[in-house]
Amino acid sequence: MRRLVVIGLDCLTPQWALDAWRSEMPNLQALAERGVAARLRSTIPPITIPAWTAMMTSHDPGMLGIYGFRNRSSYEYDALRVVNSNDVRARTVWNHLSRHRLKSLVMGVPQTYPPKPLNGIMVSDFTTPNKEVVFTYPPGVQGLLDQIAGGEYVIDVKDFRSEDKDALLQGVQQMTTARFRAFRALLKADDYDFAMVVEMGPDRLHHGFWRFCDPTHRLYEPGNRYRDVAHNYYLTLDEEIGRTVEAAGDGASIMVVSDHGAQAMEGAICVNEWLQQQGYLKLKEQPSAPKPLTADMIDWSQTKAWGEGGYYARLFLNVAGREPLGTIQPGTYEAVRDALVTELSAIQDEQGRCIGTRVFRPEEVYRKVNGIPPDLIVYFGDLRWRSAGSVGVGSIHQRENDTGPDDANHAPDGVFVWDQGANSGVRISEQCSIYDVAPTILRFFGIDVPEEMIGESIL
Amino acid sequence: MAKGFTLWFTGLSGAGKSTLAGLVKDALLERGMKVEVLDGDVVRQNLSKGLGFSKEDRDTNIRRIGFVCHLLTRNDVVAIAAAISPYKVIRDENRALIGRFVEVYCQCDIGTLTARDPKGLYEKALRGEIANFTGVSDPYEPPANAEVIVDTAKEDPAASAQRILRTLEEMGYIPSGGERGYSDEEEETIKQRLRELGYI
Repeated sequence: MRRLVVIGLDCLTPQWALDAWRSEMPNLQALAERGVAARLRSTIPPITIPAWTAMMTSHDPGMLGIYGFRNRSSYEYDALRVVNSNDVRARTVWNHLSRHRLKSLVMGVPQTYPPKPLNGIMVSDFTTPNKEVVFTYPPGVQGLLDQIAGGEYVIDVKDFRSEDKDALLQGVQQMTTARFRAFRALLKADDYDFAMVVEMGPDRLHHGFWRFCDPTHRLYEPGNRYRDVAHNYYLTLDEEIGRTVEAAGDGASIMVVSDHGAQAMEGAICVNEWLQQQGYLKLKEQPSAPKPLTADMIDWSQTKAWGEGGYYARLFLNVAGREPLGTIQPGTYEAVRDALVTELSAIQDEQGRCIGTRVFRPEEVYRKVNGIPPDLIVYFGDLRWRSAGSVGVGSIHQRENDTGPDDANHAPDGVFVWDQGANSGVRISEQCSIYDVAPTILRFFGIDVPEEMIGESIL
Repeated sequence: MAKGFTLWFTGLSGAGKSTLAGLVKDALLERGMKVEVLDGDVVRQNLSKGLGFSKEDRDTNIRRIGFVCHLLTRNDVVAIAAAISPYKVIRDENRALIGRFVEVYCQCDIGTLTARDPKGLYEKALRGEIANFTGVSDPYEPPANAEVIVDTAKEDPAASAQRILRTLEEMGYIPSGGERGYSDEEEETIKQRLRELGYI
């Protein structure tokens, strides 16, 4: 049985990996030449969670009932709960492989904390709270990680919002190096049929440095000292790919994937300021300074909707008989939603230009709607703008000039490169779907694709 | 490494032993355990080929299955046996031999069994075309102390399999699935981190 190694690089973006720097990434290029390279259409929304889980289960967010890092656990106003691996009720690739007596090494795949038993080894991802909890299966593995990483095995970069960009860069580089070293050490220590690592470095780097590296970003300054940070980092990622190909051994097949891409961010739309402006949200009193919106600040008797911040926006409607103090009569729910869609689509920037916001109704984009979905999913400016939940800002638009994750937003296409599947060129052409990855992996191992998987094997 | 044990399904023909054995096998494989199934119908094609259904032959068959389960169990494999195994004394002999032994009694009323009749055997047996047919013309001695009793006429296979797995977890035979999520403090830590990273 041939081995399959999947290198996951969160947020690795196709315009750089597959276009601009393709010829400078020879290891990635070599895989593409033997097989396929394509853009990978991500989930709606294209966010780390639920994208990786969707990829590994071939279930859409609605089927999973997982719409983001936090999900409503009830219709109460303050019931957003952070998800974990217990919320994944669909079978993952490694669940299926274990059932077929195949051994897997799974490291850092988002939404694998707490770690669950499998045939093989699992190291949980960055949603691990700290290193004092049990975050590997078997538990004994975690004691080895620092040593085999050649230093500290880093769960996630620290001080992400620090002004010290040099420290952030070093933190990302150290995290990446440590992750790959640990992965290769474990890979070589046993006979795995399937081995997968997800490294978060590209995502952290994009969010922290995009304005310095992308000449189209409105804050880009030519000649700035960080202008080559992304370029150089992508080259080091390619070196890690090369070392991992070697460690995987002769005959191993290598796949490189990312869950979504990245693009320059214009700024933030303050969704709750907008909802107030449009008459959907009423606060008991206006804050004098920006602060996060909490349920106790809202006059629910005069509120129809509230929103959450993030790389995309979720809107929740205050429905009578559903929410505790709902105001929208069930019969008018759709009319309210329709009005919101129309108004959201017309949002303009400070110069009065329409920013091209897209709005999705969950039941229209998911095969099933499990759990409690948001009432609307919003991509401000088609994700060129993020969503800010704060109130007391005094404006719909927020163009912060401080450090932190304000540089890049996610883009809907990630990367898919594989040294197999050359004959499926017609199907792949330029784009394939995140839902096709798990079926493809199962077919690689000669396993029939279960009916509940919504994607198709590219083989 | 997880230690082995024997999971022994006993009950009349068509009660659901093989079905449940398969579901539990898959669930345990998913948890990374080594598992083998010794199904009565399959074993009678190889290990017990040539044996009939006299008491003596049945006892030999069940002792053979028990012998193999013992070898597997002591090598840290989960051995799942699914056989009518109608005689209590022989089942208890296997229990004494193996030690780490969990018995699952698959109960089902004869009305449901004859209605199901998956292999057409009850019809033949009731017509007298098969002699020594357990439940019709041959005895079945239910266990007095089975660790799990499933009534397959009343509970669907998935639910029964879940109950069996939970019992195995409670008894410490299999690792539980890491159900502990976040403490309140941990959830706050994660939320803060997600905020800093811009996800919230």
